[in-house]
Amino acid sequence: MNAPAGIGLRAPHLAEIDRDRPALGLLEIHAENYLLPSPSFAAMERVRADYRFSVHAVGLSLGAVDGLDAAHLARVAALVKRLQPDLVSDHLSWSTHGGRYFNDLLPLPYTEEALDVVVRNVDRLQEALGRQISIENPSCYLAIAHSTMSEPEFLSQLAKRSGCGLLLDANNIHVTAHNLSIDPARWLDGLPAAAITEYHLAGHAVNEVEGGTILIDDHGSRVGDPVWGLFSQCVERFGPRPTVIEWDTDIPALPVLLDEARRASVLLAAGGRHDARAA
Amino acid sequence: MTLALREWQAAFVADLAGGGGEARLAIHRHHIQRSLAKALAMTFPTVHALVGADFFRQIAGIFVTRELPTQPVLAEYGAQFADFLAAEEAMHGLPYLADVARLDWALNVAFYSPRPSAADLTGLSPEVLLSKVLTLAPGAELIRSRYPLDRIWTASQPGAAEGEVDLAKGPTCLLVLPAGFVRLDEGEAAFVASIAEGHTLEAAAVAGFTAESNFGLAGCFGRLLGCEAFAALQQ
Repeated sequence: MNAPAGIGLRAPHLAEIDRDRPALGLLEIHAENYLLPSPSFAAMERVRADYRFSVHAVGLSLGAVDGLDAAHLARVAALVKRLQPDLVSDHLSWSTHGGRYFNDLLPLPYTEEALDVVVRNVDRLQEALGRQISIENPSCYLAIAHSTMSEPEFLSQLAKRSGCGLLLDANNIHVTAHNLSIDPARWLDGLPAAAITEYHLAGHAVNEVEGGTILIDDHGSRVGDPVWGLFSQCVERFGPRPTVIEWDTDIPALPVLLDEARRASVLLAAGGRHDARAA
Repeated sequence: MTLALREWQAAFVADLAGGGGEARLAIHRHHIQRSLAKALAMTFPTVHALVGADFFRQIAGIFVTRELPTQPVLAEYGAQFADFLAAEEAMHGLPYLADVARLDWALNVAFYSPRPSAADLTGLSPEVLLSKVLTLAPGAELIRSRYPLDRIWTASQPGAAEGEVDLAKGPTCLLVLPAGFVRLDEGEAAFVASIAEGHTLEAAAVAGFTAESNFGLAGCFGRLLGCEAFAALQQ
C-alpha cells in the first residue's frame, strides 16, 4: 500500500468532511482540541471511522524538565485508547514550566542533560499509551549557544534510546535551516531512515527583521517550492511515509487542502523523484 | 558557563515575561500572546463582538500576561476572564461586559459538557413526579445580571439587526444549557435554583410560587423539558 497523504482536520472543515467524506489517505487531529465532549467530538469520531487517523499532540511538553503533567497525560492516553489511531506524535520542544502553559513550541538546548530529560518523558508517554509515538522536529528561531549536538543528532539519539519514531516536518527543517544558517540537505544526513514514521508539510511566512529575513512557521499558506523540494529529498532518501498537510492561519476552503494533499500523494507515489513535482 | 536545564528553562520563561533576552525571543513572546488572545476570542465571541477585534486583542493581551493557562486545553482557558473584566472596568468602560463574559464562559462550559440522554419522565403520575429529585443537564448554569444579557447577546450575533439595546430592560436570569440559553422569570429561576440544590420538584415548585405568585408550574416544567434542561432522575 502506498504511503497515504492527508490533512490536519481543522474545525472549519469538520462539518464538510463529516458530510462529504472526501478522498483523503489520512486525517490528523490535534489531541488538545478533542479532550472534551462536544458535538465536534461526536463529528470527529464519526469521521475517524472512515479514515486512517493520526493523533498529534501539541501540549505534552516532552522537553519539560519537570516531567509530564500526569493529568494531561491521562487525558491524552484516554483519547488515544478510544480512537486507536494509526499514528501518535508530539514535538521536540517544551511548553510548560512552573505550572504554567505557554502555548508555544519552545526550543531546547541540545545537550546530554536535555536528551536525558526528553528520553525519560518519551519513555513515560510510550508506557502510558502502550505504543510507539513519533517526535517532530520543531521550527527554530534561536541558536542556543551551549547546545553540544545538532538537532538531527539529538533526534537520532532520542529515537535510538527511547525507540520512538521521528516525524519529519519538511517545512520546519526549511525554516530552521534558513533561520540558523544550516544547509537543509546536510540536516538530513545521518537520520535513521527506519525511525522515520511520518512527514508534515505546511506553509511559512517571511519576515524582515534586523536587516535580514526570518522565516516564521505560521501554517498560513500553501507549501512553498523549497519545502516541496526538501520533501522530495526526504522521500527519496528515507522512503514514502504517511504525510499530512497542516494549515492553521487564514484557513482556506477545503479543496485547497485537498489539492495540496494530492500533490503530496503524487510525490509519495513517485518515490520523491523530482520529475513528479510538476504534477 | 552552561546552565542546567532547569535554570535555563526558568531563565527563558523569565525573559519571555520580562521582555529581556535576544530579539528573536520576541517571536515566541508574540506567538504566545497572539495565540492565547485568539483562543480567548473563540471562547468569548460576544465580548469580542462588543469591543471589536483590535480592542479585544489589547485587553486579552493584558489578561494573558497576568493569567497564563495552567494546562494545554485552550477551551478550558479563561475561567478568570470575566472577573478580570469586572476589575478592569475603567479599561473598557462597559459596566455589562463582565456579565457578558460570564455568559460566554457558561455557554463554552455547557458546549463542552457531556450530553447524556434527557430524563425520561413518561408514565409518572403527577404525585410521583413531584416527589422526584431531578438533575440539571451537565454544564447547566444559572446566570443573573442587572443587565438584559439575552438582548445584548442577540444584538451581538453576526447579522443581527442594527439597534440600541435598552440597558434598562434588565435584570435577567438565564439558564445556560448545552443547546443554548433560555431567559427565566423570577419564579422559574427560583424553581431551577431549588432543583439545582437537590430539592424535590414539589419543594422547587414551592420556591417558584414563593418568588413569583404567577409562577406556572406546568408551563415552566414543559418549557424546561423542551430544552432538555434535565439530565436524569436521581432516584
